Amino acid sequence: MDLVTNLAHGFGVALSLQNLGLCFVGCMVGTLIGVLPGVGPVATIAMLLPITFGLPPVGALIMLAGIYYGAQYGGSTTAILVNIPGEATSVVTTLDGHQMAKQGRAGIALGVAAIGSFFAGCVATVFIAALAQPLTKLAQLFGPAEYFSLMVMGLVFSTVLARGSIFKAILMVLLGLLLATVGTDLETGQERMTLGIQSLSDGIDFAPLAMGIFGFSEIVKNLENPEARDVVRNKIGRLLPGWEDIKQSIMPVLRGTFIGGLLGILPGSGAVLGPFASYAIEKKVAKDPSRFGKGAIEGVAGPESANNAGAQTSFIPLLTLGIPPNAVMALMVGAMTIHGIIPGPQVMTKNPDLFWGMIASMWIGNLMLVIINLPMVGMWVKLLKVPYRMMFPAIGIFCCIGIYSINNASEDVLFTAFFGFVGYVLLKFGFEPAPMLLGFVLGKLMEEKLRQALILSRGSFTTFIERPVSLGLLILAVVILLLALLPSFSKQREEVFTE
Amino acid sequence: MTDSSTTGSGPAGSPNKTYNVSQDLCGGLFLIAVAAFFYWKAFPLPLGSLRAMGPGMLPVTIAVLLAVGGIILVLLGLRDGTARQETWHLRGPFFVLGGVIVFALLIRTAGLAIAGPASMIFASMGSDEFYWKESIIFSICMTIGCIFLFKTALQLPIPIFTFF
Repeated sequence: MDLVTNLAHGFGVALSLQNLGLCFVGCMVGTLIGVLPGVGPVATIAMLLPITFGLPPVGALIMLAGIYYGAQYGGSTTAILVNIPGEATSVVTTLDGHQMAKQGRAGIALGVAAIGSFFAGCVATVFIAALAQPLTKLAQLFGPAEYFSLMVMGLVFSTVLARGSIFKAILMVLLGLLLATVGTDLETGQERMTLGIQSLSDGIDFAPLAMGIFGFSEIVKNLENPEARDVVRNKIGRLLPGWEDIKQSIMPVLRGTFIGGLLGILPGSGAVLGPFASYAIEKKVAKDPSRFGKGAIEGVAGPESANNAGAQTSFIPLLTLGIPPNAVMALMVGAMTIHGIIPGPQVMTKNPDLFWGMIASMWIGNLMLVIINLPMVGMWVKLLKVPYRMMFPAIGIFCCIGIYSINNASEDVLFTAFFGFVGYVLLKFGFEPAPMLLGFVLGKLMEEKLRQALILSRGSFTTFIERPVSLGLLILAVVILLLALLPSFSKQREEVFTE
Repeated sequence: MTDSSTTGSGPAGSPNKTYNVSQDLCGGLFLIAVAAFFYWKAFPLPLGSLRAMGPGMLPVTIAVLLAVGGIILVLLGLRDGTARQETWHLRGPFFVLGGVIVFALLIRTAGLAIAGPASMIFASMGSDEFYWKESIIFSICMTIGCIFLFKTALQLPIPIFTFF
């Protein structure tokens, strides 16, 4: 009963007064961010990274994790009440959630979303705890070739899951990989493409890149296309769903948790794919699919459970393999390195406090979210009434201070402005930035593993297909890519994203 | 965003005014330019061999792949009926990103007490609804809040006011 003792140990760590407090702060800030459209968890975590410098590593990561899954909760509130997805993961919730709100059932939609998410969070916590040990053992069998193939698979997933043309997404991955090669060469120590700029010799920093491309270019885009905010004026109504509603939601929640949790593990997708898949399935199995889009409770329960489950299981590749499956996890890598922890299979044995404490804190955080959020919905709604013309300079100043404080370097702030411009250019040309960021995140590690693998195989590429695990991963990647390019499937993919 | 439609929930948001030139064509040319720049910078680095890769191997390879991809995108863009290029706006990027640059330039030289309001007011001008009075009051309040949060509560080493 290793699992139980380990979890008990984790709860022991997570239940200390300080860690409880940090978990609470993380969840609150995360919800706040999730509620505000246009500030994603990536920007927030980058903003708040400096705050965690003074904290012990366990507490810092507990807080950052809280921000991430808190944001999933907050995002659904905005989706239901304002018809704007607060986060990319709650796009699907707008479809039926907002319709429910219009029918005066906003409270029930929020309640079901919260309860579904809580259930998903509980399951995902146990899932991570149970899966972590076997996966860590597996990871120790991985050689450089397997790591490389796994990351290739992750990148392929990210291109298939990106909105819009797959070809353009592949180009974005290449651009990300190219940006990752800037900086000192790993083996020879030679400077590459640094243009003589001192701070580039360590490579391009992730935080300015992510903040520029996801934070500031987003603000610029929002200013160009002012969004109509359709805040629900009806009363929110009672929050607790009735027995009838619960009965209707049980199966969607179970299915959503399962699908979201499974898809969350895949590198390259994170929590984004789960809700789409869950919504599609609920629509398929429903007796009367025409109710969807008109306020079907299943269309809220399923996807909301899926995104929360996915948000949590996306920690698995990071904690067991040391591979960040999405941009948020890449920042987590940054946070861990700052505190002197190298993510990977050794975390579990070397820092059991951190590993199990973080997992236990996820469950506690989910409980907190349900308790805090439902009574506070009214406050979040008021927040949404703050006009964007005041919100964006405030977001901007927080980002600037955050970026500056990471290294106390004003050049980093300039880089942020530069990448903000790059992000704007990419958006204008119809390129989706998410695959680029993943390419950038994985680039350094991929280059390292590729070079190691080729040294071991004496320069022969066959090593990637001779080793069975590596071959399997590559075949999976090819199959997914081919599937996505099939006319019938690509049509469906388009439908899912335009819905 | 698909190759064939301008509307929909693409990354660029709601339908915009467009120029009469293909978006893919412009995007392709942009990527070719980026790839050429990286190729130029990575060219002098030793390539090494597959058995022992040098620092230049990957950057050069990826730059070439990116350029080839860019060329394909240009060719795709030359077909009839592809999505048109959206119009560029200068106001938003100039003021919002300018605000960031203002912050970067002032934080060390003048401190947060000056950099904060200056950067926020400058950024605010990027919005269509800009009111001097509101912006000044709001930015000063925000800056005071930030000083309390980051300096007093979190004790980050941010210069507040460098003139004394």
